[in-house]
Amino acid sequence: MIHYKKDIDNIVTLTLDMANRNVNIINHEIGEAFIPVIRHLKDEKEKGALRGVIITSAKKSFLAGGDLDYLYQNQEAEAIFEFSKKLKSFFRDIESPGVPVVAAINGTALGTGFEMALACHHRVVIDDVNIQLGHPEVSLGLMPGSGGVLRLMWLLGIEKAFTILTSGRSYNPQEAMELGIIDELASTPKEMLEKARDWILATEEGRRPWDRLKSKIPGGTMRHPAVANRVRILTAQLAKKYGHNYPAPRAILNTLVEASKVDFTTAEKIESRYFTQLLMSKAARNMTKVFWYDFNAIKNGENRPKGFGKFRPKKVGIVGAGTMGSGIAYICILNGMDVVLKDVSKGIAERGKEYSAKQLQELEQTQKITASAREHLLSRIQTTESSEDFADCDLVIESVFENEMVKSKVTKEAERYMDRYAFLATNTLSIPITHLAGSSSRPENFVGLHFFAPVSEVPLVEIVKGELTSDETIARAFDFVKKIRKTPIIAKDSWGFYASRVLNTYVLEGISMLQEGYAPALIENLGVQAGMPKGALAMADDSSLKMILRYENQAAVNYGPKYIQHPSVATLHKMINVLDRPGKGLNSHGFYDYPNEGEPYIWPELTTHFPTTKTEWDRHELIERFMFAQVIEAVWCLQEKIIKSVPEANLGSVYGWGFPAFKGGTLQYINDYGVEAFVEQCQHYEQLHGPRFKVPRLLRKRAEKGETF
Amino acid sequence: MTDAYLFDALRTPRGKGKSSGALFGVKPVELLAQCFNALTARQDFDTAAVDDAIIGCVTPTDDQGAVIAKAGLLYAGWSEKVPGIQLNRFCASGLEAVNLAAMKIRSGWSDLIVAGGVESMSRVPMGSDGGALLFDPEVMARVNYVPQGVSADLIATIEGFSREDLDQYALRSQERSAYAWEKSYFNSSVIPIRDFNGISVLEKDEHLRPGTTLEQLASLRPAFADLGAAGFEAMALQKYPEVENIEYQHTAGNSSGIVDGAAVALIGSEASGKSHGLKARARIRACAVVGTEPTIMLTGPAPASRKALQLAGMQPSDIDLWEVNEAFASVVLKFQRELDVADEQLNVNGGAIAMGHPLGATGTMLLGTLLDELERRDLNTGLVTMCIGGGMGIATIIERV
Repeated sequence: MIHYKKDIDNIVTLTLDMANRNVNIINHEIGEAFIPVIRHLKDEKEKGALRGVIITSAKKSFLAGGDLDYLYQNQEAEAIFEFSKKLKSFFRDIESPGVPVVAAINGTALGTGFEMALACHHRVVIDDVNIQLGHPEVSLGLMPGSGGVLRLMWLLGIEKAFTILTSGRSYNPQEAMELGIIDELASTPKEMLEKARDWILATEEGRRPWDRLKSKIPGGTMRHPAVANRVRILTAQLAKKYGHNYPAPRAILNTLVEASKVDFTTAEKIESRYFTQLLMSKAARNMTKVFWYDFNAIKNGENRPKGFGKFRPKKVGIVGAGTMGSGIAYICILNGMDVVLKDVSKGIAERGKEYSAKQLQELEQTQKITASAREHLLSRIQTTESSEDFADCDLVIESVFENEMVKSKVTKEAERYMDRYAFLATNTLSIPITHLAGSSSRPENFVGLHFFAPVSEVPLVEIVKGELTSDETIARAFDFVKKIRKTPIIAKDSWGFYASRVLNTYVLEGISMLQEGYAPALIENLGVQAGMPKGALAMADDSSLKMILRYENQAAVNYGPKYIQHPSVATLHKMINVLDRPGKGLNSHGFYDYPNEGEPYIWPELTTHFPTTKTEWDRHELIERFMFAQVIEAVWCLQEKIIKSVPEANLGSVYGWGFPAFKGGTLQYINDYGVEAFVEQCQHYEQLHGPRFKVPRLLRKRAEKGETF
Repeated sequence: MTDAYLFDALRTPRGKGKSSGALFGVKPVELLAQCFNALTARQDFDTAAVDDAIIGCVTPTDDQGAVIAKAGLLYAGWSEKVPGIQLNRFCASGLEAVNLAAMKIRSGWSDLIVAGGVESMSRVPMGSDGGALLFDPEVMARVNYVPQGVSADLIATIEGFSREDLDQYALRSQERSAYAWEKSYFNSSVIPIRDFNGISVLEKDEHLRPGTTLEQLASLRPAFADLGAAGFEAMALQKYPEVENIEYQHTAGNSSGIVDGAAVALIGSEASGKSHGLKARARIRACAVVGTEPTIMLTGPAPASRKALQLAGMQPSDIDLWEVNEAFASVVLKFQRELDVADEQLNVNGGAIAMGHPLGATGTMLLGTLLDELERRDLNTGLVTMCIGGGMGIATIIERV
């Protein structure tokens, strides 16, 4: 597990190489393996036979991180606290005053892996842009628990440490060097070890600032008024960004603030307390479920049709150079593909290309890419007005506006020139794929790809399977979505697919509340405080009230006599037809006014038409209504096989429309709530608010069997 | 039960609470000691008879740390037999000192007490004593504790006060304060501050801006919009989700001024008054403190006043004059709306918007101002009330004898 080698200068190199794993991770196994090694090193030191230690890895990565499985299963505060304490004492053994210890970082070091690097006196890293360094814990609702918070604070000061830890970002070696979290870069593994040796030979004693009497935290402690005032602002910023829903960034700030006032040993205990609190928190469990387990299930292709080789698209045709089309073109070139961007005229297509030019320019300005890389990437987009240029495309994505006639026309035209093997994807929100496939000469190669706006930001794509779409086409679409580094979920061809259909229930619930006499601002603020990206009325305006009504009409057709109209439909009609407020548009307004300059605000006349009669409210209940509406609809989707797996439902909701991550996604919400308790509460809301809160059969059965999602 | 009587009350002038202020060069202990000595100069009593000196101070650190009450007594040369205590109920400290003194008298366990307050905001800046409410991120987040200015703007937003309403009120504070000074209404109770050579340092309130116009007030920038935008508004809306946006309308012109100053009052039983030859000017009828919702924070004056009125068995209509601390214009306007007080009875000689709010001392100052004005107008009853950080309110009712 740990290879031990000593050279003539009495420098010991410890090479980590965990058995039966592709990567090294930090857990109690490696901690235990280190015990005799450290004992031996101490003996050597006493004998004067130890000049220094280099820690490196035999794997491709240095240390991938902590043992998430172990932590996820463990739910006892004392056990977690002890675990954290053990790792801490191990790291303290490495850094305690004595011989110099260097981390020779030959590959990625994240989370606890980077904590170990921070516990060494010196860090030399191979200058390879693919190496990732840093602390992603916060994105799983966690924080470092082995001294990482404290060591970063001592290296960079409270605020910089806070920024790094709460961003959850990882850094390449150059960036890490600029930040000051590593010390040296090396171009080759050999040079890395040489630099490590040189540093040891030039260093008398390894001793950290916090083990010196007079050293200070850069920028000062919480006792410094300037720091204290900054912490106040950081606290406010956290409240604004997370609305108190995410305990991890808050725990990180608490740890930094408290730790800055006490000695290192006491600070370690404080860090362990917050670490334990987070590990026990529902938010961390939910976020780990959705962003780790669900994410990996999808990434590993659990939902991809089996038996088809990996599809490696090289050239993508795109019809329609509007916002969506240009956005798709941009992410395609970023991910190594060539693009043929077509519109009715080359001039319009060129305008679509300009979007990429602008984005790339920004990347160059922020020094993410070089000028020559920018030129090369941009040259990958070929603009055209002729479908003939699709001849050598592996797939063509049709992204013209939402009109069936136009979509059929471009489908037919593109297919005339496309390779027999290539497939055609249509980017639609609301037209059934099977229907559109009617105009295709090869409906088995015809699939829906539902991108979300803005394309470059939303990490989800819905793959929609038409009646005749082949499994192979689905597999290829899946591989394409992964190639553009987005998460694919596969949805059945039904109104709104998965994402829009479920999001619609949030919007409708908000409109119902307005109809019931709740103040518009209340509806909007509580939506945001529930963890949604925007208020329900704002989201209604964004997707346009007509679109919302269209989904509802499609639902009516789908369910036939079983359809029960949502109470908010009356308000939608009134807004669209009577008040001429169909939502946000070029010349239109909705629940909000959209001034040419400045922020949108709630239409002042809204309460004239929908008077606020409820002066008291149950905050908890209103927030639950927002969540329950979506969660119940997600269960319907699972029951109707609109979506097939729990990971897709969860991650799709968080990535697709911003369902609160701290709840872990639509179905994890039920696990978090308790399946039985959730069913009971549904029944309660059904009585209060009507049949839209009725428990779907699938959920009732799970509750009866005591099964979770 | 023994009643508590007010024999005298005096204060220093208020200096601008910054380095250009006249009192920046004077130690806070000096301000307090000069008040003590002014009291013995005006009233002939043996300081050894004083049972306690209760002194409010909101930032009791640095120059104001380590029980400044006792430091001031010793520095002033009062009898070493007088004990001292420093207390902190934020902005109401100077009034809380009076109330506590009254309670001690009424309990019969004390006979004669000096109550007061001191704050050199130029020397010891607000917040420089740290504190969990202000600087502990976990406490702030749990409570949704926002800066007071954001709370004041939240009150204005909910109550629908316009910027002009607030500025009009501020203008009135300036006009009334200037008029009162012009007519020498404050002269009998404001003692000049001198240096130790006897040279006068400051004789009048320094913060006033006589001749202020509505246009000038309207031109000032909202002071708390940036803090709101940084995230404190989001915190406030956690508690007040029915509010779409906070409208930022408080400025340096319609909020209380940051100043330096000190004040003391002499309080005792009827018997001690007689034995020391002190003339009772008023009786303390009742006092009360309350806790209120801490995010909006500054809505305590109305419930505190109601509580005190109830204890005294009085109605709002029984009060002749009201002093509501002008922490922010919206605080006064909301109070006025809630208790339906006439303009002519409310803060008749201006207040902290014009003259400043030396945190720990203001309560005692307001009490003295009210007493003087009741005497000048030959009226009987008055009520002092203040909003307090953390979501509290305080009220004291006095009646001339």
